[in-house]
Amino acid sequence: MSKEKTKAVQTSENASPAKQKKHVLSYEKRKGLYGYGFIGLWAIGTIYFFIAPLIMSLIYSFNETEVKVGGMGMKWIGMKNYVNAFRKDQDYTLALVDMLKNTALRTPLIIIFSIFIALVLNQKFKGRTFARAVFFLPVIIATGPVMDIINGNMSTGGYSGGSEQFSTMFEANLVDQLLNFLGIYNISDKLSNIINSLTTDIFNLVWNSGIQILLILAALQGISPASKEAAQMEGATSWEFFWKITLPTISPMILACVVYTVVDSFVDPGNKVMTIVLNKSTNWQHGYSAAMAWAYFAIIGVCLGIIVAILNKVIYYEVE
Amino acid sequence: MATKKEEKQFEKERKAAIKAREKRMKEIGLEKFLTPDQIKYNKRQKVIGAVWPVFRFLILFGLCFVILYPLIFMLSTAFRPNEQMNDPSIIWIPKNFTMQNIKDTWKVMKFDKTLINTIILNLVSSVLQVATCSITGYGFARFKFKGKNFLFGIVVMMIIVPPQITTIPLYMQYAYPPKIVAKILTLGKSTKLINYGWTMYLPALFANGIRAGLFIFIFRQFFRGLPKELEDAAYLDGCSPLYTYVKIMIPNARQSFLTVFLFSIVWYWNDYYVSSSFFTNNDTVALMLKNLNTTLAKTLFNNQSVSVRQIIVWLEAGCLLSITPILVMYVFLQRYFVEGIEKSGLAN
Repeated sequence: MSKEKTKAVQTSENASPAKQKKHVLSYEKRKGLYGYGFIGLWAIGTIYFFIAPLIMSLIYSFNETEVKVGGMGMKWIGMKNYVNAFRKDQDYTLALVDMLKNTALRTPLIIIFSIFIALVLNQKFKGRTFARAVFFLPVIIATGPVMDIINGNMSTGGYSGGSEQFSTMFEANLVDQLLNFLGIYNISDKLSNIINSLTTDIFNLVWNSGIQILLILAALQGISPASKEAAQMEGATSWEFFWKITLPTISPMILACVVYTVVDSFVDPGNKVMTIVLNKSTNWQHGYSAAMAWAYFAIIGVCLGIIVAILNKVIYYEVE
Repeated sequence: MATKKEEKQFEKERKAAIKAREKRMKEIGLEKFLTPDQIKYNKRQKVIGAVWPVFRFLILFGLCFVILYPLIFMLSTAFRPNEQMNDPSIIWIPKNFTMQNIKDTWKVMKFDKTLINTIILNLVSSVLQVATCSITGYGFARFKFKGKNFLFGIVVMMIIVPPQITTIPLYMQYAYPPKIVAKILTLGKSTKLINYGWTMYLPALFANGIRAGLFIFIFRQFFRGLPKELEDAAYLDGCSPLYTYVKIMIPNARQSFLTVFLFSIVWYWNDYYVSSSFFTNNDTVALMLKNLNTTLAKTLFNNQSVSVRQIIVWLEAGCLLSITPILVMYVFLQRYFVEGIEKSGLAN
């Protein structure tokens, strides 16, 4: 009895402010409804063009599929596709490990390089517009098939395109000669190997960091010139300014760049795992291919989660 | 406000004044004015100021060369007679120029037809995509509703999930859509949507086109950065949200619209994965270029297998043909790529 009473009191208490605020609430609600209206088109589209295919491919991955007229024939086989991918397929795991290693090596390189170039392109000098235009050129070219021809991926044998030819210009001897010239002989094989891989990779490095440079440059524009002036007044060197002001300010954008770089290298149809997945799918093994793709996607998700979690601790967010 | 010319004049005068002051200070003796630390600092700045531009020039020049190298190579090869490819005495400039490669490739790629086809596909998809993505981005940026965070999580998913995962089920959806829909869309010609431009337009119309997640994200960030007072004024005057969006937000967001539109065009232009999945005879430039070496072998070499070295001139000519339109666009609009991004709110 008493419980009911308190309940009634509570509800009346809850109701009365609602009554008072009725107008406000309805306005808020109406705005909320408008919000649904604005995203409605996308929501419908996403269900049909994104969620449904996603779930469908998840279902494929647990089935043995067979293409028939009028649809896809399926036979439930449980986790077998996944087990096969990791246990029986020799290429898949190898390609996966290779891919992860490559990404782990290249992402920091690309990020550091883009920060450096963005810093340089943010300074004032003659011909800056031209330099910027050239550095953003990869943004419009690198995602297309032209890149394949440039990279010489179209054929394994014979003559290759620009990248190969270009890297021969920086061939091992050149680095060795440079070291010899500096009076350094055979310091260690490992070091010269690292230098070699860096110099041969410079082509890919430059061609893959267009968007990152663009993003970081945009973030750099957000630093007010006043802070630079203040730092100079206090006698800070550019080096100190970079570590104390620039880097913290652009750190959220660096996170965005890291995520973009990782996703980009994972999703690139040219990478080894993707090639295997696509090959399986062109061989009509859609279920198997879907299982591989989902396992791959899960790994990407975990990697990204770890990266974001780690970087989020270092990142400095301006409190608004 | 001072004009640009006047500003330059002021800058000149300011620099001259500083120089004169330094000279005077030196004549009297620097120690009187500055602490030793300051003198050291100034000296260091001077050295850096003298050395750094040289380094900067060298670095930028080298890297620009790395980027431009394939393009220069393209130009050099595309106009070179095929026989001269093996001539060791030629590195960059061939002995005589020829338009034959371009003509051949033009014919093989059916470039006139393909180009028009691609441009129509691109423009329609990009316009639809920008329109719908901006509306969605605005919805996410300015309205509070239940499940917003969850729905935005889906947008982030759209960025991360590779399109390869959803392609096969999507293909099935396009191949066997509801019959009435297919009949209406294809004007009664077919019950399948495969090979029709609709496979591009439909997702774009529903804000699910190529990299739509990224575009929604950009628009959301941008609209969040605009001051709220803009709309509040309009609401007070009794405008509906949609009217406010069209009349107030779009004009304010013009720059960001242009940037996203350019990116959209570039990505649609370069896309061959989606188009190769849903088109079998509806050709785009990217698709043609992707298959160029097989079609070249078929038409020019009677189906013999040829190495890339033998057909490199035609390949490079094809590259040149296919990047020229987008390059021309880039040259005229490149400043929007930079300025637009700066103002599009991505900076925050």
